[in-house]
Amino acid sequence: MRSRPEIPPGTLYMLILKSLARIGPMHGYGIAQYIQQISDDVLQVEEGSLYPALQRMLIKDWVAAEWKQSENNRRARYYRLTPAGRKQLIREVGEFGRVMAAIARLIEPA
Amino acid sequence: MHELLRRLRFLFHRADYERDLEEEMRHHLALLEEDGRPDAAARRQFGNITSVKEASRSMWTFPFLEQFVQDLRYALRTMAANPLFTATAVLSLALGIGANTAIYSFMDAILLRGLPVPHPKELAIAEWHSPGRPGVIRGLNGTANRYGKSGTLSPNFPFAAYETLRAEKDTFSTLFAYTYAQNFNVITGDQAETIQGGYVSGNYFGGLGVPPAAGRLLGDADDRSGAPPVVVLAYAYWQRRFNGNPSVIGQSILVNRLPFTVVGVGASGFFGVDPQTNPALFLPIHAIPTLATRPAEEERTRFLDDHFYWIEMMGRLRPGIGLEQAQAVMRARFRAFAAGTAATPKDAQVLPELSLAEGASGLDTLRREYSKPLYVLMTMVGLILAIACANLANLLLARAAARRREIAVRLSLGASRGRIVRQMLTESVLLSVAGGALGLSVAFAGIRFITWLLANGREQFTLRAELNWPVLGFTFALALMAGVLFGLAPAIQATNLDFTPALKESPLQGSNASGRRFRPRLGQALIALQIAVSLLLVIGAGLFVRTLSNLYAIDVGFNRENVLLVNLNGRQAGYRDAALARFYSGLLDRFREIPGVRAASASSFPLVAQYVNVTSVVIPGRAAQPGDPGVNLLHVDPAFLETMEIPVLLGRGLKPADLASPAVAVVNQKFAATYFAGESPVGRQFSLDKAANPLLEIVGVARAAHYNSLQEESEPVVYLPYTQDLGEVSELFFELRTVGPPLSVAAAVRRIVHAANSSVSIREITTQAQRMDQTISQERTFAELGSCFAALALLIACVGLYGAMAYTVARRTGEIGIRMALGAQRPDIVYMVMRDVLATTGVGLLLGYAAARFTMRFVESFLFGMRPNDLVAIAAAIGILLAAALAAGYLPAWRASRIDPAAALRNE
Repeated sequence: MRSRPEIPPGTLYMLILKSLARIGPMHGYGIAQYIQQISDDVLQVEEGSLYPALQRMLIKDWVAAEWKQSENNRRARYYRLTPAGRKQLIREVGEFGRVMAAIARLIEPA
Repeated sequence: MHELLRRLRFLFHRADYERDLEEEMRHHLALLEEDGRPDAAARRQFGNITSVKEASRSMWTFPFLEQFVQDLRYALRTMAANPLFTATAVLSLALGIGANTAIYSFMDAILLRGLPVPHPKELAIAEWHSPGRPGVIRGLNGTANRYGKSGTLSPNFPFAAYETLRAEKDTFSTLFAYTYAQNFNVITGDQAETIQGGYVSGNYFGGLGVPPAAGRLLGDADDRSGAPPVVVLAYAYWQRRFNGNPSVIGQSILVNRLPFTVVGVGASGFFGVDPQTNPALFLPIHAIPTLATRPAEEERTRFLDDHFYWIEMMGRLRPGIGLEQAQAVMRARFRAFAAGTAATPKDAQVLPELSLAEGASGLDTLRREYSKPLYVLMTMVGLILAIACANLANLLLARAAARRREIAVRLSLGASRGRIVRQMLTESVLLSVAGGALGLSVAFAGIRFITWLLANGREQFTLRAELNWPVLGFTFALALMAGVLFGLAPAIQATNLDFTPALKESPLQGSNASGRRFRPRLGQALIALQIAVSLLLVIGAGLFVRTLSNLYAIDVGFNRENVLLVNLNGRQAGYRDAALARFYSGLLDRFREIPGVRAASASSFPLVAQYVNVTSVVIPGRAAQPGDPGVNLLHVDPAFLETMEIPVLLGRGLKPADLASPAVAVVNQKFAATYFAGESPVGRQFSLDKAANPLLEIVGVARAAHYNSLQEESEPVVYLPYTQDLGEVSELFFELRTVGPPLSVAAAVRRIVHAANSSVSIREITTQAQRMDQTISQERTFAELGSCFAALALLIACVGLYGAMAYTVARRTGEIGIRMALGAQRPDIVYMVMRDVLATTGVGLLLGYAAARFTMRFVESFLFGMRPNDLVAIAAAIGILLAAALAAGYLPAWRASRIDPAAALRNE
C-alpha cells in the first residue's frame, strides 16, 4: 500500500473550516474531496477522523448542519460555517502561521 | 455553557442523531461508489463503519460517564444475581463502618471539635504546675490534677493574679475568667428546679465572641461589687423554660432565693468553655459573695486573699502572637506575682509556674477522662473494620476466580485491562458505598447506645456526639477506601492471567484447569488473619468482662441493694442553721412513714460515689505521726449505719439524742487499728484538723465499709452527727431503704418534699446501686462495648469463614463427586473439608495468641483484680473461637457430604 503523508495533528479543524469558508456549505464527502483535490492528493482526510471531527465542531458551534437536496438529487447533510467558526478559523490560521514560521526558522540554514 | 446544553439536547434526541449519522454514512458510501470504486473497496477505504459511528457519537457524550453507568448497571445486576454474596459483603462492611463511625463521632466530640465560637484557635487556657505543693497556696477550690510524680497541675488562680495578668494588653486581646459550673436552686414563676450555672467575668462573652440571641450579654459594669444582680440565660434553657419568649428579658428570677434580672440570652449552641457541662445560667463573678452563706468572709477570701486559688482563666491571643511567645510573657508576670505573695523565704522556694494550653476545644476535663479509653475503643473498631474488609476482599477474590473465563473472553476480544479493572472496581466500590450507607444507620444506633452506656443514668450528661459533616466525611472516606483498596487487589490479580488455559476451562469444571486447588493462598491467609484479630478482640472483651465482675463481687461493707438516694439543698431555699436541721429531720420523719420504706437516713454525701472529705486527726497527748494521710469524714443522721446495714462491732451507734449534743463520733475498724492498735478506742477522744478544735468522744466502732470508691480498700472513716457544725450544713443525700424496688417510692418522696416546701427542688433521685455503677462507668462501658465488638468480630469472621468454605465446596463439587463415586464415605468428605477449616483456624489462633501476649499490656490500666495474661479469659476466648469456627465450617462440610455423586458427575 502506498504510504500517504498524514495530516499534521491539530490542523484538521482548520482545514475543514477553511474549505467551508472557500466553497460555502458542503457535505462531508465534498469536504474530503475538496481537501484532497486542492492539495494535489497530498492530504487525504480519513473518514474515520472526518466525521468525529465534524461532530466535535457541531458541539463547539463552529459549524451548523442542515439536510438539503444535493446536486445529484440526494438528501445530504450540508455543513456551513458559523460566525464562531469564522473566528475560530482566523485564530487557527494565525496560530498555524506562527508555528510554521518558527519551524521554518529552525530548519532553514541561517 | 452552550456546549453543555447542546450535549444534553443530544441525550434527549439520541435516536434522531443516530439516524442522521447513519444516513450520512450511507450518502458518503454512495458517493464513493459513484466515483467508480467497487463497493467492497469503498467499504475498506471507508474503514469500520461501526467504529466511525462510535467515534462520532463519543464526541457528543461523556464516554467516561456513560461507561460508568454501564458498569454500575452491570454491578447492580450481578449484585442482584448473588443476593447472599451481596448481603454478606454489605452487612460486614455496614457493621465495620458503623462501629467506626460511632466511635469516631465520640472522638470528634471529645477530642477534635472546637468550641462553637469565632476563631477558637486563638484561645489559650492558663494553668499552673509545680513539683510539690507551693507554700504560697493556702487554699484551692477547683481541680488539682497530678503533675509528674508528686506535683500538682491546676487551672485555678487567685483573683489578684487574674487582675495582674489582665493588665498585660500586648499578648491577649482579652483575658476572661470563670468558675466551674455548680448547681443553683432557681425559681421561675412558682416552679423550683435545680439547674447548673457558672460564674463568668464581665468580658467573658466579649472575649469568646459570642453574640446574644436576645437582649444583651454581660459587660464589665455588671461584674463589680455592688452592681445590680443580673443573669444571662443559656439558649437551650431559655427555649425549654420560657419557650424562647423575649419578654423574659427585664424580668427577675430567683436564684437561691435572691432576685436576679435577666438581661439577655446567649447564642444558640453556646455551652460555655467546658464541653462536659451545660450551664443554664451565667452570673457575674462578683455575685459570688451575694449568694454565699457569709458574704463578707466570702468577699475577703475570693477577692482579697492572694493565697486562695480558685478562678480559671482563658485568653484570646492577639493576631500574630504564638502560644509559646504569650506563655513566656505571662509566665514571667505570674512568677513575679507569686513571688510577691511569699510570706517567708521558704515559701518563695517553690513557686507555681504558669503555662498556656491550647483552648480551641475548651477545657480538657473530658479529654483527660476519655482520651485513652477512646483510643482503645478506636483500635477495637479499627480491627473490626479490618476483618470486614478482609471479608470483602475474600469474597471478591472468590468471585474473580469464578469469573476467570468471562474475563479471559473479554480480554481476548480486545477489552483493555484498565477497562476491566475499572468495571470490577465499580463493583467493589458500589458494595462498599452500600455498606457505608447502611453503616450510617448502624452508627446512628451505636451513638445512642454508647451515649446511654456512658451517661449511665446521669441526668446532666452533656457529651454531644452526633453525625455531623466531619463524621459523615470520615464514613464516606472509610467506605471508599475499603472499596478501592480491597477491590483493587482481586481486580488486578484477576486480569493478570494467561488466556489460553483460562479459556479452556469449562464453565462446569470444578477446580481450574491447571489443577491447583481453587482457593488461593491469599484467601486462606486472610481467614487466618481474621481469626487472629477476632481472638484478640474476644480476649480483650473477656478481660473487661472479668474486670467488671470482679468489681461487682467486691464486698463494700454495706448493703447497696434497695436504697433510694434523694439529693436536695434546703439552704438554697433559705433555711439556716437550726431551722435547716429541723427541716431535714422533719423530712426524714415523713420519709420513714412512706409504706415500703424500712429505714431512712441522710448523709453529707453518698458512700462510694467518689466524694471525699479528708482531714487530719489530733489525739490529746500524742504527737502527730509524719506521713499520716488523715481520716475520711462523713456527716450523717444517727440512723445512717443502721440504714446502710453497717454493723457496729464495739460500743454503740449514733442515737437521735446525739443530734442535740453532737460531740460524739463512731469510727470504723480501720480507724481503730490505725490510731488505737491493740486497745479499745471506745471512750477515747480526738479532735479534727487542729488541737484547738472541740474534742469528740468515740462511742463505737463500726465494721469497715468502702467510702470513696469500689476499687479503694476501706480507709479510716469517722461518722459524725451532721449537726456538729450547723453553719456548714448545706445539701444532704437522703438514703431510704425500701422493701421493694427503690424507685417505686420516688413519687411519694417528691410529694413530701413539695408539700414541705415548694421552693425546695430535688436535685437528683437515684439508687445507691446506680450511683455506684456511675463510678465504674468506664469499666462498664469497656465490658459492654468490648463484648459487643468481640461478638461483632466473631460474627463477621464466621460469616467470612462460612462463605469461603461454602464457596470452596461449591467449586469442588465435581471433585467431591468423583471421590464419592470412587468410594469415599460421607465422614471422609466432612473430614476433608473440616481439615482445611481446622488448619486455617489453628494458624489464626496461634497468630492471635502471639499478638495478644504482645498487645494486652496496653489495656492493663483498665483492668481490676487481674493480670492481662489472665488464663481464664484467654482459654475461654480460644474455646469460643474454636467452637465458632467449627460451627461455621461444619455446615459447608455437611453439605459437601450430601453431594449426590451421580448428579455432580452429570454436570461435569
